[in-house]
Amino acid sequence: MSSWLDYTINGLIVGNVYALVAVGLALIFGVSRLINFAQGSIYLVGAYIGWVAVVQLHTPLPLTIIVVAVAAALVGLIIERFGLRPLQNSVRIAPLLATIGISFVLDQLVMLTFSPNPRALPSQLPDVRFQVGGGTIGPLDLLIAGVGLTSALLLFVFLRYSKLGWAVRAASQDRDAAMQMGVDVNRVNQAVFGIAAALGGVSGMLVGMYYNQIDTAMSLQATLKGVVAEVVGGAGNVPGAVIGSLLLGLVESYGVAVFGTSYRNLFAFLLLVVVLVLRPNGLFASARQAPPEPLTGTFIAPSRPVPIPRWALLAAAAIFAILPLFPVSFYVLQTLINAWLLGMLALSLTLVAGTIGQVSLGHAALLAIGAYTSALLSLTFSAPVGLAIIGGGLMSAALGTALISPSFRLRGHYVSIATLAIGEIVSLVILNWESVTRGPIGISGIPPLSLFGYELISPTSIYWFSFVVMVTLALLQGRLLSSHLGRSFRAIRDDDIAARAYGLSLNRYKSLAFIFGGFAAGISGGIAAHLYSYINHETFNTQQSILALTVVILGGLGNVVGAIVGAVALVGLPEMFRIAAEYRILIYGIVLLLLVRFRPQGLLGTM
Amino acid sequence: MSNIDRRTLVKGSLAAMMAGAAFSRSAFAQSSEPILLGVSGPLTGPNAQYGTQWKQGFDLALDEIQAAGGINGRKLAYNFEDSQSDPRQSVAIAQKFVSDPRIVLELGDFSSPASMAASPIYQRAGLVQFGFTNSHPDFTKGGDFMWSTSVSQADEQPLLAAYAVKKLGLKKLAVLHLNTDWGRTSRDYFVNAAKEYGAEIAVTEGYIAEERDFRSTLVRVRDANPDGLVLISYYSDGALIARQARQVGLKQVICAASSVYSPKFLELGGEAVEDVHVGTRYFPEDPRPEVQKFIAGFKKKYNGLEPDAFNAYAYDAMNMAAAVVKIGGTDRRAVRDAFMKVKDVPSVIFGAATFDVATRRVKGAMNAELVVRKGQFALWDGKPT
Repeated sequence: MSSWLDYTINGLIVGNVYALVAVGLALIFGVSRLINFAQGSIYLVGAYIGWVAVVQLHTPLPLTIIVVAVAAALVGLIIERFGLRPLQNSVRIAPLLATIGISFVLDQLVMLTFSPNPRALPSQLPDVRFQVGGGTIGPLDLLIAGVGLTSALLLFVFLRYSKLGWAVRAASQDRDAAMQMGVDVNRVNQAVFGIAAALGGVSGMLVGMYYNQIDTAMSLQATLKGVVAEVVGGAGNVPGAVIGSLLLGLVESYGVAVFGTSYRNLFAFLLLVVVLVLRPNGLFASARQAPPEPLTGTFIAPSRPVPIPRWALLAAAAIFAILPLFPVSFYVLQTLINAWLLGMLALSLTLVAGTIGQVSLGHAALLAIGAYTSALLSLTFSAPVGLAIIGGGLMSAALGTALISPSFRLRGHYVSIATLAIGEIVSLVILNWESVTRGPIGISGIPPLSLFGYELISPTSIYWFSFVVMVTLALLQGRLLSSHLGRSFRAIRDDDIAARAYGLSLNRYKSLAFIFGGFAAGISGGIAAHLYSYINHETFNTQQSILALTVVILGGLGNVVGAIVGAVALVGLPEMFRIAAEYRILIYGIVLLLLVRFRPQGLLGTM
Repeated sequence: MSNIDRRTLVKGSLAAMMAGAAFSRSAFAQSSEPILLGVSGPLTGPNAQYGTQWKQGFDLALDEIQAAGGINGRKLAYNFEDSQSDPRQSVAIAQKFVSDPRIVLELGDFSSPASMAASPIYQRAGLVQFGFTNSHPDFTKGGDFMWSTSVSQADEQPLLAAYAVKKLGLKKLAVLHLNTDWGRTSRDYFVNAAKEYGAEIAVTEGYIAEERDFRSTLVRVRDANPDGLVLISYYSDGALIARQARQVGLKQVICAASSVYSPKFLELGGEAVEDVHVGTRYFPEDPRPEVQKFIAGFKKKYNGLEPDAFNAYAYDAMNMAAAVVKIGGTDRRAVRDAFMKVKDVPSVIFGAATFDVATRRVKGAMNAELVVRKGQFALWDGKPT
């Protein structure tokens, strides 16, 4: 029985750590309705500033905290002023993409300055341990709990009783009305970003000290867990974020207790999905709270698609079709194959995110389902590769739609968070379901692509194969969009209440969109599996999902040609920057930011 | 399609044409051009630290090779392409390397998904893929152009098991392993060997690479009541587990796989890694001349920095590549055949490395039993801790 006490304490301790990130995220969400993907990067920056202060400058702890808080707040202010404020009159999705770009840039800057090697960040507190149950806790645990709770409390008081706090809340409820009442919205945003960043920086430093280890990979993990905790507690709700974090820590700890370590994150993400399905506004949302703003309508750019004449499309398709006949290197062909595969994924995502407005952040899961199905069909049942790939597409359509269906009743950002969680769950099931997926060992020896008994192994033939598949899917999707069904999809995106009033069954249409989208993504995953010959649970990861969303937003939401153009650009750009070696991802991040800044509705506009 | 798209295309094909021109020129240029190796590995992304360590090892080996007159009078050089350990990028890099006639041999990639996705391309094009950290048992099964000096876990884990069970006398073990293809394969070999030596496996726990918090895992370990903990970890997670084990009051003997062998393990683990036992392939006071040369050279080149396991793998790999190219020249097929001929190449990890032609791997890794004493790795003195 005493073990349960230990699991409880451990859960609370790690929940404490999550709370530090979640509070900052909640604050920003509360005001700007923005999931700040750069929060993890500020946390990273804070950790490294802390390292400089402690190891190089030998500052005492209180001074270290002040230095880190001030420096991180400055970073937050810079992000707000130069990264987000220029976007405030553009579409709501632009700042989201901008925070992703900013996080690339910050992470890369830290990596280039400090090298990717992990560093020790020694704790400056005395090393005494207090016995609690079967384990011990140290002063740092108490400090982290103290910082988490105090900051949540201070923020609560600030928002409720101070004038600036009222302004923050007014701005979060209705920005335009607040402005008319004389609230300086920019100052409010600045204050919020400064506070959230200071908190993020200090938490990175404290967590670094806690583990005596900081490295550049900590940023994405911090963001993921912080987002989960925040949403469980109720997005934008500061005390809720703290309780959500503690709950997340407990669920993880009990998950480890009952099923073992490798199931840990599975429980974290299952908790999230269950909470979202049962209480879409989070556990601690008050009944009076306004419903979460839909992503639709205000969120997606009301722009017109860039008109592209039919002859130009045909010409471009013809050029790409005959490209391998010219002396083009296999490297260029392979890069374009990657672009076509990403293009299929983007077609799928642009349909569900752009056309029907369900912004999915877990799309890599559909790739994985398609890839594993196709690989296993061809290996275990010796199915012909062509059929196996179609089987992968069908499985991805069926299973993907079934998995995503609980989130159909969600709206706005919550769809993204739920799909993010579902994506993680799929990846963890692949890792743990060893009898079928072979777990971490992965599946090797997947047969190469073949069609009617002919093996497609030269880059030229793979190029043509993937190009034809992608163009076929694109044509089908174009046809779909101009049909009655496509118009219904867009009607649901633009105003789901009106669509429902008009008699459209939302769930059915959302299912249809996911079936079609799941099929395209599954085909892409299936082809990839046969191309790579080896896949495991890491092959289709969260970064792929984020990349796919970036492609879709860049190309223009719902825009079929845009998805393909975006895929070519985002596969091509990092390859073109190869000459810059370690700097290439930094350059990529900056280019992404500039694109968002000057073309927020996407290169080819929303359709 | 849009203008931008066509522009990218034109730029791409222009670049390709220019590259083509460069290749044909280099074919004419004779011995003044260096012999080029391709390296595909992570320089950015979550595994960037390992790519950095590779570079350090490569550069040191190259300095020594150049100083000794290069390869039959020509210099040896490498072209490091960043793959982020992402299969999508490693396949593009593979096409780049196979279509670049200057490249005679490829090294890497780091992770199994990235490496093995590229294998079919190297195999079909007939360019050797020399995966020196690829312990996945299926890596060299990709074809006769896949060679590896990664220590087979079938070799390494029984050595660690012998250290833990026979030497340290541990009878009931808890195994914590990275839940990757490497960690999982290693765990299975370790568990089999340990059982064979008469130990009981109380519990095994697999954790994902991003994990930072092990407290609850350690409660499970405590409840299984083992007399020793075995870590199949890299240095950063190994240090985290050791620290948290000591913090929650676990006082059992800790044994770790050679992959934790790094000065970073000591730095990150601090006092908690004191008395941790590590089975490694070499150690600082190792009298073998190749080890002394490696350590002295490394410290001199990198301002007193101690080399770690990944530095050593990369250093060995570059020396092996040089030895192979010396025999095989610049013809790719001859380079492949040279892997079968090359004998007793001085190696930090193997002493003298010779490939087993059937498995395309090297057998007989050296073994050293170390323990952390006063914050340093030292040869184990036989005293129980």
